[in-house]
Amino acid sequence: MTSPPSAPGDRARAVIAGIGSCLPPLVVTNTQVIARGNLDTTDAWITGRTGIHRRRLAGPAVSTGDLATAAARAAIDSAGSAVPRPDLLLLATTTPDRPCPATAPEVAHRLGLGTVPAFDLAAVCSGFLYGLVTASALLRSGTCRAPLVVAAEKYSTIVDPFDRDTAPLFGDAAAAVALRLGDADEPGAVLETDWGSDGGGSDLITVAAGGSRLPAAAATGIGIDTGIGIDTPGHGDRCFRMRGRQVYAHAVRRMTSSSEAVLATTGWRPEEVRAFIGHQANQRILDAVADRLGVPPRHRLGNIREVGNTAGASVPLALADAAARHACAPGARTLLTAFGGGLTWASATLLWPDAPVRTAAPEPRPPLHDHQEVSPP
Amino acid sequence: MNPVREHLVTLLTEKFEAPPGSIHDDAALGDLDLDSLARVELVFSLQDHWGVPLDDDRDSTGDVTVGRLVDRIETLLAQSAQEPDRSE
Repeated sequence: MTSPPSAPGDRARAVIAGIGSCLPPLVVTNTQVIARGNLDTTDAWITGRTGIHRRRLAGPAVSTGDLATAAARAAIDSAGSAVPRPDLLLLATTTPDRPCPATAPEVAHRLGLGTVPAFDLAAVCSGFLYGLVTASALLRSGTCRAPLVVAAEKYSTIVDPFDRDTAPLFGDAAAAVALRLGDADEPGAVLETDWGSDGGGSDLITVAAGGSRLPAAAATGIGIDTGIGIDTPGHGDRCFRMRGRQVYAHAVRRMTSSSEAVLATTGWRPEEVRAFIGHQANQRILDAVADRLGVPPRHRLGNIREVGNTAGASVPLALADAAARHACAPGARTLLTAFGGGLTWASATLLWPDAPVRTAAPEPRPPLHDHQEVSPP
Repeated sequence: MNPVREHLVTLLTEKFEAPPGSIHDDAALGDLDLDSLARVELVFSLQDHWGVPLDDDRDSTGDVTVGRLVDRIETLLAQSAQEPDRSE
């Protein structure tokens, strides 16, 4: 569903004013992934079929919230003092710190944001763009003045290291953007959006156990200790699974059609796009989408080679990577698109931001003090 | 050689680098060094070229043969030719 065309004279837009990212320091090569899972594949096969050479993994001491807090703090730092203090935090993730409560309030607390509204958003690999659509609407409606959109994933906790089809694909990371209200002509302006879902494909990308259909208690008896706390396949599967062939077909079709829709609403032709960032799932999917759209190779940006598929964090992470390299001039016409489990998809057009990218190491979680009752004002 | 088969063989050899000597009617796509994603890409290319509704899933399994794909496309093209023109 494409956002309603903006009314004439309605120039107010969410503007990306700050960009932050967090990559865990541990670099894991394809060879190491193969050795750990005793996978029947090769480095050449993985790089040739996916475009991925290495990825970052967080390790047992670092949680999604630790990655998110670091990226969010970096985005706030990037935005600087000209942007209001964040008054809403939205965290897109597939791998929250716990099933309950949401991770976002604790991230907001760790950032010192006080009692701002904070919630998690579950749209798998479309999570960041779902968050951007939501935050932009809240901003333009006046519900908030400076939302933070954070996307953080620790897929190493749900990926099966023995699954050749998924183990080489994923990495851990977080990225965030700080938004403010601005004008449609200025760098960073989020111009138009498109989003959608198709629950008919909900079985194509799954973590089967751990929810109400198959509670975690019923799923814990069959696992083996792989060293990073992941169960083996089978009944009560708590690992991430996807049906690659079907997912590929849906991903290419949905990202292409969603991109076409948002380009049409914006009034841009594909060849006018100067920066195309698709969900960094697989280089072949990215190429297929960009080829179908007609975006020239020189305008396709991404970092899948270095970080793999970081799920919901992949689009802002690639944006941060490209912005840090000054790959585009501020104001350049930019198209973002993503596709994920659900099935979900989303796209956005924006003008390339003019914000200094900040990067940060994961923040260890400080001890939480006993909650103090707060008297109403 | 009929045009559907000729186009399929060209696609297989030029875009997907399948060994030309291995391409015959009974050859399964999985045996032509096309991995799962390449098989979907092949179906996409055939859909785009012929304008027929091949099935992304069933027509891209590893056991689909060259001959079966040719038959499927020709059947769909024939059905399409028999349908009344809805554009008017």
